Amino acid sequence: MKKYHLVRRSGQSLARRLVYYLIGILISLGIGAVLLWSLGINPFEFYGRMLSIGMIGNKYAYKNVEGFLKILVPLLITSLALGLSFKMRFWNIGGEGEFLIGAISAAVVAFTVTGLPRPLTILLMCLAAMLSSGLLGLFVAFFKVKFNTNETLVTLMINYIMLYVITYLGKTKEDWNFFLDPKSARPIFGKFPEAAIMDGIKIGNFNLLWSVIIAVALIVFIYVYLKYTKHGYEISVVGDSSATAKYAGMKVGRIVMRTMFISSAMIGLAAGLTASSSGTISETVTNNVGWTGIVVAWLGKLSVPAIAVTSVLISILQFGCKTAATKYPSIDSNFADLLQGIILFSVLTADFCATFTLKKKEDAKNA
Amino acid sequence: MKKLVSLVLTAVFAVSCCISLSGCQAQTAPATSGATSKAEETTAGSKESESEAKPAAGDFKVGAIYINSQNDTSGYTFAHHKGITEGMKQVGLDPSKDLYIVDNVPEDDEKVKQAIDQLAGDGCNIIFGISFGYINAMNEKATEYPDIIFSHATGYMSNEKNFNNYFGRIYQARFLAGIAAGYKSLAIKNDNIGYVSAWGTEYAETCSGINGFALGARSVNPNAKIHVYEISTWGDQEKERQAAQVLIDTYKCGVIGQHCDSAQPQIVANEKGVFGCGYNSDMTAEAPKAHLCAAIWNWSAYYATAMKAAMTDKGSFMTTVGNYYQGLNAGLVDVSPLSSNCEPETAEAIKIAKDLMISGKWDVFSGVKLVFSGKAGAVAVEQKNDALKDNQGAEKVAAGGASVGDDVIQGSMNYYVEGVTQVN
Repeated sequence: MKKYHLVRRSGQSLARRLVYYLIGILISLGIGAVLLWSLGINPFEFYGRMLSIGMIGNKYAYKNVEGFLKILVPLLITSLALGLSFKMRFWNIGGEGEFLIGAISAAVVAFTVTGLPRPLTILLMCLAAMLSSGLLGLFVAFFKVKFNTNETLVTLMINYIMLYVITYLGKTKEDWNFFLDPKSARPIFGKFPEAAIMDGIKIGNFNLLWSVIIAVALIVFIYVYLKYTKHGYEISVVGDSSATAKYAGMKVGRIVMRTMFISSAMIGLAAGLTASSSGTISETVTNNVGWTGIVVAWLGKLSVPAIAVTSVLISILQFGCKTAATKYPSIDSNFADLLQGIILFSVLTADFCATFTLKKKEDAKNA
Repeated sequence: MKKLVSLVLTAVFAVSCCISLSGCQAQTAPATSGATSKAEETTAGSKESESEAKPAAGDFKVGAIYINSQNDTSGYTFAHHKGITEGMKQVGLDPSKDLYIVDNVPEDDEKVKQAIDQLAGDGCNIIFGISFGYINAMNEKATEYPDIIFSHATGYMSNEKNFNNYFGRIYQARFLAGIAAGYKSLAIKNDNIGYVSAWGTEYAETCSGINGFALGARSVNPNAKIHVYEISTWGDQEKERQAAQVLIDTYKCGVIGQHCDSAQPQIVANEKGVFGCGYNSDMTAEAPKAHLCAAIWNWSAYYATAMKAAMTDKGSFMTTVGNYYQGLNAGLVDVSPLSSNCEPETAEAIKIAKDLMISGKWDVFSGVKLVFSGKAGAVAVEQKNDALKDNQGAEKVAAGGASVGDDVIQGSMNYYVEGVTQVN
């Protein structure tokens, strides 16, 4: 191995990258197929169910589309938001915590504000969620800018703090705890009043939630924001080199705090929409988007359209693996997770191989 | 360029999707057409419906929502999965074909609803949810899918048409295990009995279990003291271990009962040379020198009943099965076979108590106490009128009074009976 070392490939050949992705995915599906076969399951049938998100032979196929969109929307918005902060080289891994505080705030509004019409209630919920999450992000950015604290550590710890807060709320049966279902002797999160539960546009049986439309609008908004506004330009300069930004007369601290506020507020919006469309909250309300979003943002190379497409693919993978496993009593969701992991790992490996190559040392010197 | 990359990624997924779809149709259509004929009426048209019709049982599908995985080898989900698969075999269903499972579903309404949608879409006729927190989602979805029977373990909600709840009188089995513990405590001349419990008085389920076990032990050894250690989680092997160690080392307990997922308390008892009563499954294999007998569930008793009723006439499910709460009489709960560690009197005493409960002449939480006496071969029981008191001395049932209501046992019991103390 001493004779070889890794070299970044010169020139970005798109064709090569695509071939690598294709090979990576095929290899992972092949490994999965062998595993499935060894368990006595027809891999073609399994993959068919997986990639069609369980809609083949489904009595209520539209429900699966609804379920899929409910998984997609929070992941999409969170990935976009995380991409925003990563572009600035601000390592915000607190997506989970920011999501949770947003969901809790939305629930506070849902349970306490009554008598308002539905759109207004939901708007208030989303605003509360965005404000609380945004302030949490601002808090982290402030300490980063002011005292140069390590944002990775701070955001990571915030995840756990918020997780324990929501667990406490969900497990504490006390009179003050309006989050819980008053009718249940055991502590269990209550259901929001009707006015706080999101509806959508009915297309036949299919219910297109407003959150989907908001998410699509957000893609366009962030794309324009990053590409055509002064703010977007500032973010990319700060990401490239904060010294350059300073030299050009930009207020780096302000830009970092502002962007973190926007980024976290978007995650808060995702949380508000999720809480409202589920009609309740729980410890697992995030569906791990704070973590998955990091993968999505990087797989999408921080480009807005690519993040959008990647989050769709990852959601298909997540939702599809789980629904496919339903039909086969011998495999559980752990197997679905395993398969997902194999596929993701292969894509990342393919990405790595497409970017780097092994070269002999002498060659490297000459090059 | 990055856009292009992602576009092609999509294309790759789409292509592999098509490949696998066509493969699926070519290879598996004949095999699945019988089972999914209902679903295909709406989606695939009449193409496959011409294949031979299967017997009615082939159309009946069972859906299950689990809190853990069906591949667990012990614990709560394991016990239910075993019950469902055995129950299916009893009514002529094939668990490898007719059973649809969504596993690892947390107590999160949104996730439970999605699981139900999936199972409904796959054509399930009855859906079992085994965890308490599924309650609101199941209640809501029962209205949305009136053709599907919804059945919820440990809950309290139901409707008149297609939604019931089910649970069992496990306290009866614990009373029997308590008898075994009581005889052991007499034999080793140590009145201290330990009990590792997931929760204490917060949940009627754990609370009634502790009380049942305590009354069983004290029916043999009136001086027995039950020390409860609460671990505040349904299952955590390390905490279960530590709790058992504390009970044995600090409180000098000679027998360890338990209400938690793993066999760790029994294993600790085995290591320390004391005795114990397990839960959920016969733990004699894990603790050969310590284990006496365990309070066990036999869920298939319920599952077979429920599936049979739903297959025969789902319209009358709520009158034939209804909200199901049975015990020793239905074989839903029992004690595991007594190990050779048990005292010789145990089997006789357990049989006497069991017969009394099965016949309905006596139940655990009443104003009548059982008092066992006599040596092996001549064990006698006296039914003594004696008030049921909590450990503060407050009377709950007057001497000679009838048993507390099922709603108390299942829902509002929040006191320990005489002889029980919680140590933490």
